[in-house]
Amino acid sequence: MTKEFEQQFVSELEKNQGIIHKVCRSYTNNETAHKDLFQEITIQLWKAYPKFRGDSKFSTWMYRVAFNTAISLYRKSKRSVETTQIFDNLKELEFHEYDDTQDKQLQLLYNAIYSLNDIDKALALLYLENKSYKEISGILGISEVNARVKMNRIKTKLKNILNP
Amino acid sequence: MGNLDKLKDIWQNQKESTIQFTESDINKMVHKKSSSIVKWILIISILEFLLPNIFLLFTDFESTKEVYQDYGLSNLVLFYSIVHVLVILGFIYLFYKNYKNIHAECSVKKLLQSILKTRKTVKYYVYYNLIMAAIIGVHMFYLIFNSQIFIEKLPENVSMLAVWSISLVILSIAVLLFWLVYRLIYGVLLNRLQKNYIELQK
Repeated sequence: MTKEFEQQFVSELEKNQGIIHKVCRSYTNNETAHKDLFQEITIQLWKAYPKFRGDSKFSTWMYRVAFNTAISLYRKSKRSVETTQIFDNLKELEFHEYDDTQDKQLQLLYNAIYSLNDIDKALALLYLENKSYKEISGILGISEVNARVKMNRIKTKLKNILNP
Repeated sequence: MGNLDKLKDIWQNQKESTIQFTESDINKMVHKKSSSIVKWILIISILEFLLPNIFLLFTDFESTKEVYQDYGLSNLVLFYSIVHVLVILGFIYLFYKNYKNIHAECSVKKLLQSILKTRKTVKYYVYYNLIMAAIIGVHMFYLIFNSQIFIEKLPENVSMLAVWSISLVILSIAVLLFWLVYRLIYGVLLNRLQKNYIELQK
């Protein structure tokens, strides 16, 4: 694979990394695991990139690979230590976690998602992202009717967890 | 649904993650080795294909050949060997075909299906080995117990029924033990995937 092809992938991913971070934050509960999962998703995306032909949106394609990695492919590894060392030039944004209610509520929301099972995590995330039933059915590989049923269930679950 | 709309607002207005990677970070990640379950499936499956056959490498062919001849097992061994090789090739072909079908970019359900299917090929291979071990075991017992050498060596006060019973019990325990150990290994690797697959079916 050519250098330009790789560079194109890297810059596209850098721009769209928000999607992967949302998935990582939903499926892990600490920074090290988050970074480790991010790395595995990146590797899987890169392996799948030659087959990406733009039939679907880049973001949908990213979701699919990211969920697949988080749900099926990723196994917690012992390389976490190593992973932390690679990112010494990590550009950390200023960390202001609990300084306003918005962040606190967001944290609660992530906690609620984390407490769900693997499939429900994906459903909750897709619901919050306002994805259409069609897109959800495409990502998960279920029928649109089933997607609708599952969406209703996840709404109830989220409600129950966050407003007891 | 008012509350849920509020959740959506919070979600959609979230700031960028506190963890951010630069292009050079991502560049390094691209060249890292994957630690995905697929790699483990390949390693474990190859071991499973090799292990039932590896003991053959340590067999002293000349002396076992004599034993086979003494007890009249030569034809039997040849027959089962040919069948075994053909079956192994068939299984390896199926495994390879299913393994190649595992793609991270397909839908969540499809991926779970293809991983589980790949593992199922190996599971059936292991079961095939256990069943064959039982069949060959019984067949060999039959030929050995009816051979002239064995009957001559057998003390008079030991009945054939006792010989058969003990042999079959030992064979059953061995097969059962292997089966249990295998279920355990298989479960550890795929428990989560199976749970997720069932969850998706609901």
